Order: sequence, then structure tokens, then C-alpha cells
Amino acid sequence: MRSLFFTLLLLLPTVALAVPTAQPAMLPLGTGADANAVGTARMVGAMLEYTRWPTARPVVRLCLAGNARHAGRLADISLSNGAQLQLSSLNGPAAARSEGCDALYIGRLDAAPMQGLIAGTRGQPVLTITEDDPDCRSGAIFCLLYAPQTLSFQLNIDAVSRSAVRIDPRVLRLSKGGY
Amino acid sequence: MSAPIDKILPTLGQVLARAHMRLILFAVLMAGVTLTVTGVLVIRGYADRNLALIAHSVAYTVEPALIFDDMDAARSGIAAVAASESVHRVDVRAPDGRELATWRRPGGGIMTMIEGGIANLVAPSPAIVDVRRSGRLIARVSVHGGAEGLGRFILSGLATAIACLVLTLIATWTLARRLQRDVTDPLGRIADVAHAVRANRQFDRRAPHSDIREVDQLGRDFNALLEELNDWHSGVLSHNRMLEQQATRDALTGLGNRAMFERALPATIAQADALNLPFAIVYLDVNRFKPVNDTYGHDAGDAMLIVIAARLRAGLRSGDQAFRLGGDEFALILAPGVGPEELDAVKARIADGMRQPIMLPGGESVDGSLSIGSARYPQDSADARDLLRHADAAMYAAKGRRAGSRE
Repeated sequence: MRSLFFTLLLLLPTVALAVPTAQPAMLPLGTGADANAVGTARMVGAMLEYTRWPTARPVVRLCLAGNARHAGRLADISLSNGAQLQLSSLNGPAAARSEGCDALYIGRLDAAPMQGLIAGTRGQPVLTITEDDPDCRSGAIFCLLYAPQTLSFQLNIDAVSRSAVRIDPRVLRLSKGGY
Repeated sequence: MSAPIDKILPTLGQVLARAHMRLILFAVLMAGVTLTVTGVLVIRGYADRNLALIAHSVAYTVEPALIFDDMDAARSGIAAVAASESVHRVDVRAPDGRELATWRRPGGGIMTMIEGGIANLVAPSPAIVDVRRSGRLIARVSVHGGAEGLGRFILSGLATAIACLVLTLIATWTLARRLQRDVTDPLGRIADVAHAVRANRQFDRRAPHSDIREVDQLGRDFNALLEELNDWHSGVLSHNRMLEQQATRDALTGLGNRAMFERALPATIAQADALNLPFAIVYLDVNRFKPVNDTYGHDAGDAMLIVIAARLRAGLRSGDQAFRLGGDEFALILAPGVGPEELDAVKARIADGMRQPIMLPGGESVDGSLSIGSARYPQDSADARDLLRHADAAMYAAKGRRAGSRE
């Protein structure tokens, strides 16, 4: 009985990482004109929930880059820890820089500027999410994957290790392909 | 007398076996109940904590899946945590009570149901844990079951108790047999000897040795007591024989007395009837006893009677009996099978034997002749009293004839 107790204690942190039956998160998309936008907002909110910056952010600055098609409802996100969300667009001259951003939502963008943008976040406490990178080769931390009825994501573990932000390990399990 | 007592009273072995049975039963029950209750309490404590821990695990695992609104992931997370544990059911509900995800263990065997039922009796409550995200309630996890170990413990405790009881029975039985062999049987043998002595006067029986000191001591003392009892009994017997002899024998002549004659007559009648043979009685009276007594004294009379008695005895066949009825009167009972000729021959032989004068202690010789009268059974009479009267009359007739012939 006692050994069971200890086993469970040991099990607790590894459960999220080691569960073999992991499935990718399949967020069901609702119906309606902006179903994708609502789903995107919800998923981005969840990603922000499980992201830890080196210092707590009372205001999370979410920057939008490129041509984002589903970012229409991102303003609806409310975080459970009470942090405010501040949306801004990276356009024009600042388009290739991510200073002043805690999170980066990247829409459709050419490969070169996207990689430049993401390379700029290396070692920085910036969460990167791409909307239009189904193969997840851009080096972003999260890549959103749109399917007709569902929305899922892929987590790039290399990007996580290169970044200064920390992602809750339990989220790995929800990522497409699993870890 | 002893049969109903045997039925009602238990034997020593039964009493001892019952006492041992109760003692061992009590010990086993006490130990079993104490161990089981303590074990149940301890295991219940662990089971409660285990269940709470599982609930916490489930809550921790499903939290991101709930945030990402992915119930399949939530279910697989629950299954991953709960499947390897003794959990029946896991429910995840939204704060408003809406079911978000649920997991049930695939049906187990009947033993699992029994164990679960027993466990629910002892530790029924599910563990409930809230899933919170930064203090905000997201969902509530309730975990049911988780106490199969308890049920298994109780079941195995019961099985052990039953096994112990069976062992107890065997132990008691063995013990009872050993007691029977070591204690009850030696005591029973002593009791048998006592019974044999009491019922059949078998004073030669002795209690055997025993391996138990007290029982052996009892046997020895009993044997010593028997020895004394035997001596005492034989003393009483010889004394009785002496008394009987005194009561039935004439002290002077050694012949049977009147009391013995009165006992011997009906016995001989019964014997004659049984054999369907005739017999006879003879009355004899000493003719010159009174003059001898008066002339030479009582010692001379006694000496005369002793000689006459000896001569009478010499004239008898085997089986015939001689009695001195008192004074100078004698009687004979001739054993069944005697005919009239033989009777006459016996009478003649006796009369013949008395013809020789008797020498008295003082040197004088006197005539020892007798008057003899006889009666035959059943020819003269089939009644004892009548037979005696007949013989008496015949004797007096003989005396009269003698007196007549003298004059």
C-alpha cells in the first residue's frame, strides 16, 4: 500500500509526458461564419494559459504578424490568472522585429520573413504561433492545424528548448504527433 | 441405574474437548477480529489517500485537455491514470454539473463485484477533487472505488478465519484424542475395575499403570485400597462362614442342628420332585440317655452323644445327611433315590452299629441302642410336616414296642 503511494507520487509529474495513448488535441469547431476565428481564439488562449514567461506578465502583449485569416476574435481571449491581453500588429518597418511582444501570432507570410521573424525570437521570452504552417517547419513553437471540423496544433519541441518561455509539459501530450 | 446417568452426564473427554474448543475458538476469534479491524482501519486510511491521490492525478492530467476543450484527450488521460489503479468510475463534470468526460472500468468478474461491494460497505465515499486554473473552477473530478484491496483483505481475512477454525477443530480433535489416551482411558480403566469390584466382587482386578503422575497415584492408591478391601472381604467371608456354621451346626457332635434340618428338608423335597425320585427321613432317639445322664453326669451324656453321632455318620451313604435335633434326638435325611429295601438296610446297619456298648470316660460301658422311625416321601406323605409327624409316630411306636418287649 505504501509502495503504491510512492509510485503514484513518482508517477504524478511523468503522467503527462509518458502517457502512450496520446492523441492530438482536436478542438471541435462550432458552426457559423467565424467558427474558425472563435476556435482559434480559444486555442490561442489555452496556449497562453500554459505558457510561463521568465517573469509573470500582468499584461500579455500579443502581436499579430503577416496576413492572419482567423485572428478576428483574439481580442475575446481572457486569461484565467487575470492578466490582460494587449493586441498589436507588427506591420511596416517593425514587421521583422518582435521587441515588445510576449507572444507572436503569425499569419500567412513568405518563408524568408517568417523565418527571420522567428529567428529573432530565439532565446527571447516570446511565444510563437503560426497560423499557416501545417508542416511546422518555420521554427515556431506552436503551429495551428485547421481541419474541416476541428482545430488542432503541433508543438515544436526544439523551438520550445530554444525559447526562453516555458510550456507546461502536459500540453505536449495534446500536440499532434504527441511526445 | 448407570445407563440414564451416562446419557445425561458428559464424559471427561467431552468436557475437556468442549473447554479446549471454546478456548481456542475464543483466541482465534479475538485475534482474527482484532487483526481484521486494525487492518481494515489502516487499509481504509491508505485507500482513502490513494483514491484522493488518483483524483488529484486525474485532475492534473485532464486540466490542459479541458482548457484545450479536447474531451478525447481528457478521456485518454483519465484512462491512462485510472486503468492501472483499482478504480471503477471516474467522472469529470463542469461546475454546472454537465458531464465533460467519464470513464468506467470494463466489467470485471464476480469476485471483483463482491470485493467492490464489501469495500463500499467499509469505505463508500468517492474522492472528489476540483480542477482549478488560477483559482477558477474548471471542472470537478470524482473517483469511485479504489478499495478493492480492502475488499480483498476482508475476504482473505474471512478465508483465513475459516481456515483457522478448521485448524482449531483438527487441533481440538487431536487434543481430545490425546487427552482420551492419556487421561480419560486410564481413569476409565480404574472406573471399570471399580465397577467390576462392586458388581461382581472381582477383588483380584487391579488398575493398570498410567503415564500421568496423578492418575498413576490414584491407580496405586486404588489398588492398595482394593488390597485392603480384599483382606477385609475375605475376613468377613470367613467370619460369616464361621457364624453360619455356628448357626447351623450342633457344637457338640458337629452334625447339623434343627435349624439346618428345617432348611435341608424342603430343599431335599424340591430336589426329589425335580428328579422324580423318592427319599426318606429317619428319626432316632437314644433309649438310655436320661439314665446315663442322671447316673454318670452330663460329661458322660455328652460323650455318649458324640459316639452315637460318629456311628450314625459312619452308617450313612454319600449324600445322606445327619442332624441332632436337640437332647438325645437325631434325624437323618436319606438322599433321593432310596427305595424301601435300601431304607430298611440303612436302618438295620445303624441299629447294628449301635449294638456295641459305648465306653464312657469314667471307664463304664453303656448300651447305646436307638429307637428308629422312618417315613418315605412321597409314599407316606407328600407334605413335609405330615412326613415328620409320620416319622415321629413311627419312632414312638418303635420305642413303645421296645418298652413292651422289655416288660
